[in-house]
Formats: sequence, C-alpha cells, structure tokens
Amino acid sequence: MNALTWFYLAAAGWGLAAATVLAGRGAQLAIRVACALSGLAGAAALAGGASALWWGDSRVITAGGSVVVGTLQLQATSLGGIFAALLGLVAVAIAAFAPRYHQAGPGTGIYLGVFNLALAACLAVLAAANVVTFLVAWESVALLCYLLILRNPGRPEAAAGAFWFLALSEAGFVLVVAAFVILAAKTHTMQLDLIAARAHLVPAGWRDAAYLLALTGFGFKAGLVPLHVWLPEAHPVAPADGSAFLSGLVVKLGAYGIALFAFRLLPVGPAWVGLLTMAAGAVTAAIGILYAMNERDLKRFLAYSTIENTGIIVTAFGAAMIFGAYRQRALWAFLLLAGLYHVANHGTYKTLLFLEAGVVEHATGTRDMDRLGGLIHRLPRSAVITLVGTLGIATLPPLNGFVSEWLIFQGLFQGFRTGSHLIGILIVVAAAALGLTGGLAIYAFVRGFGIPFLGMPRTRQAREAAEHGQPVAGPALLAVSCAALAVGAPLVILALSRAVGTVTGVALRPVLLPGNLTVIPAHTDFSAFSPTYLAVFLVAVTVVPVLIYLAGRPRADSVTASVWDGGMVTFKPRMQYSAMTFSAPTRVTFDALYRPSVSLHRASDDPAGRSGPVHYETEVTPVFERYLYRPVIRAVEWLADLVRPIQSGDVNLYLFYVFAMIILAYLLGAL
Amino acid sequence: MTLWFLRGLRRGVVTTWYPARPDSSAASLPTPPVFRADVLDRATADRLVEVCPSRALRRESDTLIFDLGACTACGRCQDAAPEAATPSGEFELAATSRAHLVKRIPLLREARS
Amino acid sequence: MTASNPSIRGQRDGASAQAAESGSGTDAEQKAADQLRQRIASQFRRSLHIRTLDTGSCAACEQEIRLLAAPHYDLHRLGLFFTPAPRHADLLMVTGPAIRAFDVAARKTYEAMPGPKIVVATGACALGGVYPSDAFMHGSVSEILPVDVWIPGCPPSPLALLQGLLVAVDRLAEKVADLTFAADGPTVEVPE
Repeated sequence: MNALTWFYLAAAGWGLAAATVLAGRGAQLAIRVACALSGLAGAAALAGGASALWWGDSRVITAGGSVVVGTLQLQATSLGGIFAALLGLVAVAIAAFAPRYHQAGPGTGIYLGVFNLALAACLAVLAAANVVTFLVAWESVALLCYLLILRNPGRPEAAAGAFWFLALSEAGFVLVVAAFVILAAKTHTMQLDLIAARAHLVPAGWRDAAYLLALTGFGFKAGLVPLHVWLPEAHPVAPADGSAFLSGLVVKLGAYGIALFAFRLLPVGPAWVGLLTMAAGAVTAAIGILYAMNERDLKRFLAYSTIENTGIIVTAFGAAMIFGAYRQRALWAFLLLAGLYHVANHGTYKTLLFLEAGVVEHATGTRDMDRLGGLIHRLPRSAVITLVGTLGIATLPPLNGFVSEWLIFQGLFQGFRTGSHLIGILIVVAAAALGLTGGLAIYAFVRGFGIPFLGMPRTRQAREAAEHGQPVAGPALLAVSCAALAVGAPLVILALSRAVGTVTGVALRPVLLPGNLTVIPAHTDFSAFSPTYLAVFLVAVTVVPVLIYLAGRPRADSVTASVWDGGMVTFKPRMQYSAMTFSAPTRVTFDALYRPSVSLHRASDDPAGRSGPVHYETEVTPVFERYLYRPVIRAVEWLADLVRPIQSGDVNLYLFYVFAMIILAYLLGAL
Repeated sequence: MTLWFLRGLRRGVVTTWYPARPDSSAASLPTPPVFRADVLDRATADRLVEVCPSRALRRESDTLIFDLGACTACGRCQDAAPEAATPSGEFELAATSRAHLVKRIPLLREARS
Repeated sequence: MTASNPSIRGQRDGASAQAAESGSGTDAEQKAADQLRQRIASQFRRSLHIRTLDTGSCAACEQEIRLLAAPHYDLHRLGLFFTPAPRHADLLMVTGPAIRAFDVAARKTYEAMPGPKIVVATGACALGGVYPSDAFMHGSVSEILPVDVWIPGCPPSPLALLQGLLVAVDRLAEKVADLTFAADGPTVEVPE
C-alpha cells in the first residue's frame, strides 16, 4: 500500500482513539479501547514509515484547506520515513504501557485524548508537503505537548516546567517561521518539493541565513545547547509516557527539521555552515552528558542524556554537510544515514528508559536515585528491560547504540578525505568530543543503572517496591526492538541507504554492503564491521567457555566461602555509594563548567562534630539559566515595562488607537 | 628525574643482602638476654623476675622459665644483674611451635633458700 | 584448610612448656605435623603473598612490617609480596592481642583465604606475652586462629620478620628451638 494510505489509517486511528477516551471520560474500558486503537494506529504508522523508507517519496496530496490557512498538502517522504516508523513504534509501546500506568478518571481521559491528537499532529509534521501545513502541524504539536506536560496542573513545578517548554518552543517557532518565509519568498512557492527544486535560485546570503534560522529554531526543539533548558524542566513533571513521547519523538522532530533544511530543502552550502552545525552538536553532546552526571532525579538525568544524543545526531549531520561541501558525496550520504540510524536507536531506548523510570516511580513513589537501590531484586523484569536499554544507550556492543555510534565515528574518522588539513583536524576534534561523550555516557549510565537497581535498598520505599501490576509489555517490546535494530542492522542500513539515496541522490548501496552482513563506511579501503557476526561472536565467547567449564569441571573438593566484604560485621545501606559521590570525580575535573558551591554547617563548634549533625550541601551552578536566560528575561521584562503605558485600560485611549489606525491604513492605502 | 638517578648512583646499593650475608645493622638490635646458669641463684632469679616489666620471667623451684614470646628486649634484667644476664645478640627467633619459645634455665643448686 | 600444628592455645604459662617436655607421643605427632607443614610451606618458596591483619595492636609491629617494603630490606627481592585481598593471599601475618571486637573480621579474613595458607603470629601481643585474656581481648592470636609460626619481639625488627617469613616458607631453618639462652660461663658478644 501507499505510504500515505498507511498514514491516513494511523491518523484516523489516533483521532478515533482520542474521541473514544474523551467521550468515555477516562473510564477504564474507554482507556483500554483507546489504547488498543492507538496501538493499531501506531502499527500503521510504522508500516507507513517503513514503506516510505523503502519506496521513496510518494506524490503530493492536496487535501483542501482555505484561503485563510492555505492549502493542506501531504506527502510521505523517505526522509520522514524513519521518523514516522519511530513514531509508530513509540505509539505502540506507549499504548501497551498506558492502561496499566494511568488511573482511570476524567483527567486521564483528557490526557490520553490530547496524547493521541499529539501523535497525529507529529505525523502531520512528518508528512507535511507545504510550509503552511508544516507550521500548523508544528504549532499543534507544541500546544498539545504543553497540555501533556501539564497533566497535573495542581503541582507548582508542573506549571513551571510546562511554561519553559512552551516559551522556548514558541521562540523556536518564530525562527522557524522566519526561515520558511525566506525560502518561500525567494523561491515563490510554498510547496516543499518545489522549494527543494528551486533552492539553487536563492542567493547564498539568504540561503545561509535561512539555514541558520532553521538550525536555531529547530535547535530549540531538539535541545541544542544553550537552547536546551526546557528539557530538564519539562521532563520530570510530565507523566512517564509523556516524557517518553517528548524525548523519544518530539525532540527528534527538531532533528528532522534540521535534516529537512540541510539535506532536502537547501543545496549543499559552504563548509562553515556544516562546521557550525557540527560544533554545535559536539558541544551539546559533551555538555549534555556532563550535566547528566550530576542529576539525582532519574528523569532529569535522562533528559540531559537526550540532549547529549541530540548533540551526537547533529554532529553527524554537520559533518555530513562538511563532506558535502568538499564534494565527498559518499560520506555526505553516509553520515546522514548514520545520523538517521542514531535517531531511530535513540528514540527506541530513550522511550524505554523513560517508561521504566515511570515504572520505578510508580513502584517506589520516588524518582530520586539516592532513595532507591536493590530494585533488581524487587522489580526483576523491569530491571532486565532497563539493563537492555542502558546497554543500548551506553553504546555497548552488541546493541544498537554501538552500531550507530560506530557508523558516526567511522564517518568522522574519514575527515582526511576532505583534503583540507584544517577541516580534517576540526572533524577529528569533533570525533574526540564524541569520544569523551561516549566515555562519560558509560560512566553516567553505570551510575544511572547501578545506583537505583543494584546494591541494597536505601529506603523503605525501595525495599517494598512491587512488580505486580507494573506495565511490562510496552518496555519489553522496545527492548526487543533494540536487539532487533542491532542484529538486523544490515537490513536497517539497507532501508536507510535507499532513503538517503532518494534524499541526496547518492546511491550508497554498492559501497555499503559488499558481502551479506558486513557494513563498510562508504569507502572500501577504510574499515568494516558486522553487527550480526559481532552479536553471534559475543554470545559464543560467553557461552562456550561456560559450557567447557561445566563439562570439564575439576572434581576436586572445593570450599564455598562467602564473598569477601572487607570483614564487615553488618552492611548498612548508607555505606554504599550515593549517586552524587559516584559522580564526584567529574565535578572535580570539570569544575570550571560546573562551578560547584559547597555549604557546610555544623551544629556545634566541636571540630569532630560530636554534638550534632553536620549539614553538607553541594550545588552545581546553572550556568545557562543564570548567565544567558536570566539577562534575556530581564531585558524582555524591561521592554514590556516600557511598552506597558499603552495598555492603560482607558477605553477612550483605545478608541483613539482604533481611530489612528484607520487614518493610517487609509493614508497607506491612498499612497 | 636525572638528579634523583645520579644521586642514587652515587649512594650505591642500599639494600641488605640478608639472609645470604649478615646485615650490618643486626649488631645494634636490642635482643633478648642470655642467662648465666653458673651465676643465677634463687635470689638473683627472684630479683630478675620482679624487674621484668613484661612478665617474661618466672621461677619454678630451681628453674627460671623464660618466655621469649613475652620478652621485649628492654634490657632491665641486664641492668639489674649484669653478670647474670647479657645480651644474646640473637634476633632470628621465629618458631614453628609456641613451646620452642619457652626456655628453661636451671638455677644454681647451692642457693641460700 | 591448613594442616598447621594443632592449635596450641598460646598461654603464657605451663601448657606449652609441658607439651615440649612431655613424652614421645606428641613428639611423633609433632614430627608429622612439621613434615606436613614443610610440604605446604615449600609450595610458596619464591612467591608468597602476605596479608597483614591487625587485631588491635599499637601499630609498632605494623611500622616494622611496612619497613619491609622499603629499599633497605626490600622483601620483593625474596619473592614476598603484600596484598590487601585475602583471596589473593597465602600467608596471614597477624599482629595485636586479638581483641574480641575483631573476632568476626578475623574469622572472615581467614576463611576468605584459599588453602593452603599459613598463619604467622607477629609480635609479643599476638604471642600472648603482653595481655591476659579478659572481657575485651583473647590475649593471644592462637585463641582465634591456628598459628603456624610465631615471631617474638616488641616490635620484631624487619630482619626478624624476614627470618620469620622465610622460616614459614621453609627457606630458612628455625634457629630458636635449638637455642637455650643459658650459658655456663661468661659469654662473648657472639651468639650461641
């Protein structure tokens, strides 16, 4: 079937699901029916996305509209295909997750209704064929996500988090509108296909300005540093599946926007544009993971990790643009492929991790890592699933994160092919930044998995967590998808290479898979790697020695002794690492970034602290909020104060305004 | 780094050759006493027993029982009766049985009560 | 498990002396035990990993033990090494009078060492020469662990420690059993 047909089915399904749950006022049956419909619609979106990936762009459908809002035009593109497939997968997983997670009630009814509409709006963004459709869909996504985040309006931090999201979303929207307006004006068309065809007519200055506006505008949504501050504010307050949706998909829409401008709408630009993108990505990745190291709240931690991964994706896109500028077409297409693959991978395991964070919060009542511990015994299935997601996001073989990171690194390492020494060095510097990020990511996720799940429970809530009744099917599906994306990497790369071929016009496939299961990074003389063989090898290398040992075990008497624990008499949970002490070395090494402040209060002056507790507090300075946003906010407030006299509340003054405007319009019309 | 290396070369080897060759510092080590059986009578023995701060000495009828395991080589017995107790110079005192460290020294039979 | 001497209860009076003096019955036992100990000890001749254990000492013995790693004594040249992990250790070097608060830790350390293993009681406290058994301490390490080699001294000098370790792995012969510490005439400053 045509990809667009699948998309229609998906959108219809989601609309029906929203209607069901709103009409049913959030009754349990209504929730179940709506989630079932949502899951089916998600499967349809997945099929549509895969179909778009494989078969390429569909034709443009004009679906009406009006003079006021413009025409509604839809097209299933191959670039949007992977995003649509991801959307479908996320929708199915959350559909399986939601009935067990949410409690029935009118609040849930509204929430799920809004959620399904948001899914349909995201699909509209991906299938938009003209500027107006895109912008309307984009803004709908933003407003619907605002409502999603505001699920519990009673809590004060919910309002703050949602407001951060909306404010930065709108700021980005203004820039995106500006970018589209420039392109539409210079190419005299609103249809994206035609803009792409005529983009070479746009003068270089306007073209670069449009791209920079798009990079910044979409960067707000994607979470590029310093435009990222809404992510750690909004994610903790949204419900688990809302955060999963935000991080797994909505942030990816920002990446989609950047890819849209960089690869589809605009022709290959000068190298500095790509350099800027790559630098933004590399900085984002490093700063994202550094801030993730210092978070105790599970969801804030995962939010910063999302920022890190956005950085990786944008670095790949930026490097692709540089290679394109130097006419290395194979690497240009290859890095786009690598970036898109990472989008799919990250969407999968980040959604999984957020859903599991929700399960943990549900089971224990807290998101604070320092109040958890030993959950692997209380929540075994969730722990295994979370471990799969953690291995994926820490980019460890044989899972999918490793494959896409390998692809990105191999693309970056071929910077020497540009022929320019300076560019080659800068690309390698970006690769070094990604290497630092990767190492810190492993550190961060050892902490993120080890502190809550391993060790001893630190509080009664952790001790009494129960697995019964927790949603498992949704996250389990995502875990299986992680494994599938890894082992089935050749298939995914094949599909993506077809998509990338449609977008860039470069046929990667002959250069990409010479054998059956081996991947080579765009050039045969560089390196090769087989994810499938690697997975098989890793399994064999663990299983075979175990089998040999079991078969040929020495028959001598052996003594079983307890684990050496340092000779301790009793272990107390407080003797374990806490989340902050585990990450203390980074605070020491990177103190120029963190500027930690320490406050220490003793109950008495006794230097040994014998007669009372000692209060120790350490805080990381929020650099961006304090030095970038606060001045901007104050400037805006100052400007607003300046303009306030206009709003005097006096009706006579308002009538005068109307009169003055009429005279002005008349004069302008007469001229 | 070079300075340290050169300084080391100038000083030469400082490691001892023990146990292949005797160590030069062994001579100055405080060591447990050796008792003169031909001089020790009961009175002297009692005096030594009283003087020993570690209770390493004990008299049982006509035998002075000396527990090497308790001796700290403080030298007070030697100060109290220099003709009866002199430093032995023995520092290689490791034993594979606790009993090997308990020595019985016979006292002079012709003691005045 | 170690086939050390049967656990002599490290008491300062009588019992050890009696055991040494009594008849040939325990002597034969002693010989067999010694032979077995030598066979085990000879496994470690040039590669011995030592784990020190302080059961409440004043740390003077520890200072002497630490000097073993310094350039002058340098135990590494003899194939002896310190290790903090009992799982990796062959020999347990115990100091201190075995305070009762340390019972569990001492037992756990001993059990964490894989066999064959050797226990060396170091210093007068560990030999039972300083403190009596009371509510706070056992007074002697042989109360809580089966000791193979005793090194007297307060503290034993690093040379004495080296000799003790080498006796424990059968590279040097034990001297003290044959010494009487009794002289019949004036002694020169030369040891017996």
